[in-house]
Amino acid sequence: MATTATRATAAHGAGGKATKHPHDVPPVLRVAEPPAELAREALVLNNRSLGWITEAIAGICEKPMPKWWWPVFLLSAGGMTMMFSLVAYLIATGVGVWGLNQPAAWAWDITNFVFWIGIGHAGTLISAVLFLLRQKWRTSINRAAEAMTLFAVACAGIFPVVHTGRVWYALYPGFLFPVPNANAIWPQFRSPLLWDVFAVSTYGTVSLLFWYVGLIPDLATLRDRARTLIRKFSYGLFALGWTGSNRHWCNYEKAYLIFAGLSTPLVLSVHSIVSFDFAVSVVPGWHTTIFPPYFVAGAIFSGFGMVLTLLIPMRALFNLHDIITTRHIELMCKVLLATGSIVGYAYGMEFFIAWYGGSPYELYAFKNRAFGPYWWAYWSMISCNVISPHFFWSKYLRTSPVFVWVVSIFVNIGMWFERFVIIVTSLHRDYLPSSWGYFTPSWVDVFTFVGSFGLFMTLFLLFIRFLPAIAISEVKNVTPQADPHHPLGGAKGHH
Amino acid sequence: MKSLFQNFRVLVALLVVSGLLGWATGGLQAADAATTNAVASADGHAHGVDGHVHAGGEPDFLAQIGYSYLTAYMFCLSLCMGALFLVFLHHLFDASWSAPVRRVAEQMSAVLFPWMLVLLLPILALQSKIYPWLSIDPATDHSLDVKKILFNRIAFNVLVPALVLSWGLIAHTFRRWSIAQDKDGAAIWTKKSRVLAAVGIFYFAFSLTLGCFYLMKSLQHQFFSTMYGVYYFAGSVWTTLATVWVVVLYFKDRGPLSQVISKRQIQDLGVLFFAFTVFYAYIHFSQYFLIWNAAIPEETFWYVGREQGSWKWVGFTILFGHFFVPFLVLLNQDVKMNPAIMVPMAAWAWLMHYVDMTFNIMPVPHPHGLHVTFWDPLFWAGMVSVLGYFFLKNFRSAAPYPLRDPRLKEAVTHHEVPAPGATVHH
Repeated sequence: MATTATRATAAHGAGGKATKHPHDVPPVLRVAEPPAELAREALVLNNRSLGWITEAIAGICEKPMPKWWWPVFLLSAGGMTMMFSLVAYLIATGVGVWGLNQPAAWAWDITNFVFWIGIGHAGTLISAVLFLLRQKWRTSINRAAEAMTLFAVACAGIFPVVHTGRVWYALYPGFLFPVPNANAIWPQFRSPLLWDVFAVSTYGTVSLLFWYVGLIPDLATLRDRARTLIRKFSYGLFALGWTGSNRHWCNYEKAYLIFAGLSTPLVLSVHSIVSFDFAVSVVPGWHTTIFPPYFVAGAIFSGFGMVLTLLIPMRALFNLHDIITTRHIELMCKVLLATGSIVGYAYGMEFFIAWYGGSPYELYAFKNRAFGPYWWAYWSMISCNVISPHFFWSKYLRTSPVFVWVVSIFVNIGMWFERFVIIVTSLHRDYLPSSWGYFTPSWVDVFTFVGSFGLFMTLFLLFIRFLPAIAISEVKNVTPQADPHHPLGGAKGHH
Repeated sequence: MKSLFQNFRVLVALLVVSGLLGWATGGLQAADAATTNAVASADGHAHGVDGHVHAGGEPDFLAQIGYSYLTAYMFCLSLCMGALFLVFLHHLFDASWSAPVRRVAEQMSAVLFPWMLVLLLPILALQSKIYPWLSIDPATDHSLDVKKILFNRIAFNVLVPALVLSWGLIAHTFRRWSIAQDKDGAAIWTKKSRVLAAVGIFYFAFSLTLGCFYLMKSLQHQFFSTMYGVYYFAGSVWTTLATVWVVVLYFKDRGPLSQVISKRQIQDLGVLFFAFTVFYAYIHFSQYFLIWNAAIPEETFWYVGREQGSWKWVGFTILFGHFFVPFLVLLNQDVKMNPAIMVPMAAWAWLMHYVDMTFNIMPVPHPHGLHVTFWDPLFWAGMVSVLGYFFLKNFRSAAPYPLRDPRLKEAVTHHEVPAPGATVHH
């Protein structure tokens, strides 16, 4: 190594030979190997074979579930049942069972909606954006993150529908869906709530298709390994006759790239449009031009928080340390640090412009956030979103799974509080002091939100029970064995 | 290093002189402004549009020079800050593809010091002619009164040079460590650069926002938008990527980068250029749309003023020229590696970014429509030539790429490395 390095230096004249100009082109390009301390860690540890990877991942949904699975599943399913029961109670009784009222006519409902939509951002970001940026580390986490996206979108979709009160009007013949009806009530196309319907449903559909396309090779693997007829038929049906032929792979790669290209603007657009729910208004604290990118950054932040919350236990419980490595966790921590800082910039910018702009209403809204009756919510948000990610400056802390998991929980909490702060603190004191109020959630509010976690976890547990939680074929693609030019390349000695 | 400090002393002296000059003319300007304001329309004065415009509707000679100069300066600052951001990006992402092009970005950003600081002097000298808020008594203007802690002559004269100086020092630090690594290949330089990038990106974000607030947004100090810093940043990086694309290709064809630049780098720069085309449009659309939709007079005046006369067509030019044209052209993957299209596209990006800067600055002295003067191309061409000269001088003073960057191996092994003993063909 030293020899090649010396040659390179001499060839370029940077080392000391005065007669050479630094821009002289050497006859031979020699590039030094990176110093050992800066070498990249492998994405799959212990040089695991391709067979081991298949066995480790496919085995999760082929073997009986471990003992912990059933209690957790039953608990989650119980939470889900509770949520649907409370939604039924809400529909039967009316939105008065919630704590919201004038002036805070939006509260936990829309907070929960934005919270869950935010969680739903990481999956498609990891699948699409990181794919386009050639970030190979995404392969170990993208499948579970995509599934999480779909389940989070399912949770999110409930709240804007039920918050309308008479949900049958919202659905059909509806004011949310563009279906003309007998009463000639058309959707209000100028309302961002309607834009949400288009944005979220498009995002959900494309995310589902993207996830499914990625699953096809792995479903074929499960089909080929299936030992029962039912499993063979079920996986075979959805594997669409995949044989792994060159033609199939060619079509697959093209479809994947197209979906990645389609999904990338969707990642930006969905939360931008969610931010419009607030920013198009003239409500102090809501109307601010940085909302679209700020919401997108916040969504990525919360999405990665939830990915860590789910994958760190999954990694430990299914012994996947060689596939979801410390490097993966560390990189996700860095994403949290970066996006948390962008969110922090936006918080700072909002406050700065509230002062800079000179509007007394705007300035009051922000002072009220930080020092008004909901000061505890604001500072919880700041602590969790702005301060807690800064622990990840320490390599020791970001390589400690338990610590990272705890911080990821704080991120989830902080991002819920962010939406609560934006919505409730801006609404509870409007332009007329005589109508000011203080929102307190009812028990239905609280348990409906808690129950939504039941729905989310139920779907996630079913996912890891029946589908490969890690993209088998994609992880294999980033191993040295898949690269014929690598010293450990699989093609060596096989020609 | 010694000459650097000698230059620094001279520079500080020049800054002080410029500041004093600006201050001295401020008194005269205030008297002039008092007369002007008396005849200016109430609306125009309130929004600072007519503050430095003579009764005939045109700025005086020095003011025109100041605005033309400021437009050129903001254009060039974009290129320097965009290049500095690319250096930050490389270290933050521990990227490999960008290793061979990093030196170009390092040298581009290095002209921040001392040259961008030197070029700031005329702005400081003409500050009273350029910035209407400097001639307004805060007691008579609520929107200025609330931010007088930041918007006063002392803060302006101290903070603006300090910001440019600090960016220059950061750029020089990156470059110094990078060149040091050429000699010993030690990992410490990469580690230090990563730490500087990780910490510095925070400073970069906040300081760039403050810098473009002071230099450009404060022309109409009543206007406020939380997006404005991001907007200037997005346009800056967009223009820089187009520039780096052309520069890298030039030096690849001319030899210095021929062995380390492959299709990958060229394409990736093109892809990033495309991405920032969309990002800029997203940012500018969001700012415009939210202001238009809310229709609050405190904000809309900024865009309403830019719909007067021919400014409306300048706005449309930005809409189509800054987004639709490059978006549609760059959609095709092969285009991003085709010099016959990309070189004109880069020239187009320069033109569009200059138009964008004009759209931000020139409605202040020319509220009734676009007014191109002799000074606009003169200052623009002059400043670009001066900075281009010093960039080339910097670039030739060191190796054309980071010779022993730890990620260079990854970057170059994506193309065929000539066998030992092979000769180079040009």
